[in-house]
Amino acid sequence: MTAALVCEDIEKHLGGKAVLRGLTLSVMAGEVVSLLGASGSGKTTLLRAIAGLTHPDSGKITLNGAEVFGPTRVIPPEKRQIGMVFQDYALWPHMSVAGNLAFALAPQRLPAAEAQARIAHALDVTQLGPLRDRLPAALSGGQQQRVAIARCLASRPQLMLFDEPLSNLDSALREDLRCEMMDLVRREAITVVYVTHDQAEAMAVSDRIAVMRSGEIAQFDRPETLYNAPATPFVASFIGGFSLLEGQGADGVFRVGDRTLHLPAPTGPAVLVIRPEDARPESEHPATSLTGRVISAAYQGRCWRVTVTVAGCTLRLDWPSPAQAGTDLSFSLPPDRCRILPLDHALNPKDA
Amino acid sequence: MSWVDVPILAVFCLLIVLPLLSVLAQAVMPALFDPKAPGFGLDVSALDHALFAPRVLRSIWHSVELGAAVAVTATLTGGLFAALTQRFRLPLRALYAPVPWLVFLTPGYLKAMAWVLLMAPGGYLAQMGLLPHWGSDAFFGLGGLVLVHTLSLFPLPAFIIGSALTGLGQDIEDAARLSGAGPWRIWLRINLPLLLPAIALSLIATFAEVLSDFGLAATIARSAGFGVLTYGIYAAASDYPVDFPLAGAEALVLLTLILLVTLGDRLLRRQGALRLISGRSKPSQRHELGPWARWAWAAVIVAIGVLAIWLPLGVILVRAFTATLGAGLDQSNFTMANITQTLSPDAPALSSILRSFGYAALTALIAATIALILAARLDRAGPNLRASVTGLALGTIAIPGIVLGFGYILVWNRLPGFRDWPFPHYGQASLLVMGYVASALPYCLIIILTAVGQLAPSLTDAARLHGHGVAARLVKVVLPLVLLSVITAVLLTFIRTVFELPISQLLVPQTGSPVPPYVVRLLGHDDDGLASALALVCMVGAGAIAGLGWRVAQKHLTFAAKERPQ
Repeated sequence: MTAALVCEDIEKHLGGKAVLRGLTLSVMAGEVVSLLGASGSGKTTLLRAIAGLTHPDSGKITLNGAEVFGPTRVIPPEKRQIGMVFQDYALWPHMSVAGNLAFALAPQRLPAAEAQARIAHALDVTQLGPLRDRLPAALSGGQQQRVAIARCLASRPQLMLFDEPLSNLDSALREDLRCEMMDLVRREAITVVYVTHDQAEAMAVSDRIAVMRSGEIAQFDRPETLYNAPATPFVASFIGGFSLLEGQGADGVFRVGDRTLHLPAPTGPAVLVIRPEDARPESEHPATSLTGRVISAAYQGRCWRVTVTVAGCTLRLDWPSPAQAGTDLSFSLPPDRCRILPLDHALNPKDA
Repeated sequence: MSWVDVPILAVFCLLIVLPLLSVLAQAVMPALFDPKAPGFGLDVSALDHALFAPRVLRSIWHSVELGAAVAVTATLTGGLFAALTQRFRLPLRALYAPVPWLVFLTPGYLKAMAWVLLMAPGGYLAQMGLLPHWGSDAFFGLGGLVLVHTLSLFPLPAFIIGSALTGLGQDIEDAARLSGAGPWRIWLRINLPLLLPAIALSLIATFAEVLSDFGLAATIARSAGFGVLTYGIYAAASDYPVDFPLAGAEALVLLTLILLVTLGDRLLRRQGALRLISGRSKPSQRHELGPWARWAWAAVIVAIGVLAIWLPLGVILVRAFTATLGAGLDQSNFTMANITQTLSPDAPALSSILRSFGYAALTALIAATIALILAARLDRAGPNLRASVTGLALGTIAIPGIVLGFGYILVWNRLPGFRDWPFPHYGQASLLVMGYVASALPYCLIIILTAVGQLAPSLTDAARLHGHGVAARLVKVVLPLVLLSVITAVLLTFIRTVFELPISQLLVPQTGSPVPPYVVRLLGHDDDGLASALALVCMVGAGAIAGLGWRVAQKHLTFAAKERPQ
């Protein structure tokens, strides 16, 4: 596979503050990559830089082997052949559904028959045919989103960018549309960069996820790798409702308060990453058992979500039975699922 | 900055900056525009002398006194109007809903004319025995001016306080009610403190409006001998023998006062205290009132509406169709003579109407075109340039028309190079239209800039990503979406210009007078029947054109949902 998009050493400052710091990213042809991060992490700025709507201070962006941004060369966005699905969809409100598609195609100066065929195909795959003469205001949110996608599909872009496309929809609709949307994109084999702050959404749509923090990529991996082996406490805290238990690592043990767990740990301050579903009864793994004070328990259908404090850290655990607030709860963790990472300073993604 | 910006900036300087600078220079260099011996000598003694003449001091005091009084009364009236109409479900809505807009669009000197016809010693109210002699005397002085100004300016506070009230939303009130506060307590402890910035802005805006008013100054105030600054400038700049140094000094005082007021306004806005509208707050609901309160408050609102617009319009209508004021509403007094005389093809009235409509249409098209180009350029400019040009436009709105008009006389009648320039030329319609464009441009710019600013940037970004260039984006995306605002700007400018008084008064072309100075002159010669007929024909004509134009535009240029989403 070849890289469809390469960003190298992208730097960008806005108002004296570094938004992107020497960021490098490479996306393969036909791949769907998510940029996942909190607000202010630089993910939208990176997306806009790829589109050409903002220019980095330095760095290089290559699209299918051709440089579109570099020290000597800046291709304007209208020449980059990039499609973008905006957060607010950006449908031109004075044009019908078909009119939106036709206006988007116009600069390509295609023969009329081909343009018509492309519009018909795009409307067909998005099931918008019957709505082709409606104005955007007469469509529901989901339909508007499909028009935005159809408009990009009709233009056959080299690369498609999604800027939090589901954030304006209610949660019931969100999952349906997510599947439908990604189905379409994968069928057309389009390379996609997808911006979101929702880790579940990123996991569901992507081949790979770039977790962003303060203008840098904290980890760039497949979703299951991120889940099973987060590289830093920051990534772990951002993914999947994991809890972090702070302690000290030394000589192959991890100390939490007065409890010593026999787990391989780096020397110095470190955190133990705890996935909620890994909690087991104390008897199963006595060498890695812990005891905490129950703060609350909430029924979640498959299990109880119990919040406990251990050595001043709050942990969320899935537990098969209800636990009384104020009592002590002992549990253990499978050693092969325990991952201990050296502590870095800013754990809270909001601080980043 | 690119080559497109240079002519636009030049136009802006020529239209507004140069005349204004000339006025300021005249104030401190009295000999600058002297036709015989021009000189650059700085001489504050003339300014000093002008400012300490008892007559000038009195007019400054009058302006400030009147402005302060009206600021309070108009804010009270407008605030009451906004609170009652926005928060309560009242009967007779059709009678009061359009009132603020109608009052806003009706020029001050026409409302003043109607009130003079009502309150004059031999006027309608005296004839009906409703007005004692002392009432008439009190009207021609501070009291009458405060009354008429209040009734004609209250829409301004009503708009400002009304939009702040909308921004308060229902949640804040609901929260207070759930905590056990009654309606009065909510108003006193919740709404009133939150509305304070809007109330302060209303006071400031009304004060500034009164300071720069010329319509009442040239009618009621003039006949009452109540000298104010704006009329002082006009008299010094146009009554023989002209005294430009005095006009310059008075203009400097007026501009300084307005600058101070505008600074106060800026400081208030900068505090951000007005930012009450949040995307989350629910719009407020109109409360039901008990039957007594309902009709009592409706009566108050309708009374404001009647006094502010329906009564003055009625008076102009009656006077236009009657022969003399003295014979009042007597049946034999009714006649078509005034209307016939206004519309007769060889009378000066009809030609002044046609002239005014022509100038206004031309002004509206030119101002809106310049504003559209400027707005589109600005929208792509950085936030700093945008903020400074918007600030400049807002600032020029505050420049009184009379000062701008005086600046035009200085530049185009006295300044070498401009004096002999063939087009536009002093004393010709071209210069009058230029003055009209200058005074309309800031309004047009703000209306269109607001519309352009409301377009999501993603709309043009999307067009750009699909490969459309600058021109296609402007013509195919921006223009169709702001066309309704452009047309609104054109129509508002048209109405405003048809009735514009101060610049018309100072720059009357030799070919003949436009409507506003003609009406004021007829009124000054006690020919109020013809003045009323002329005003009536103009209002009906301009109103019909604007109303029709807006209706057509609105029908074809709204892209909201016609079918509900499924």
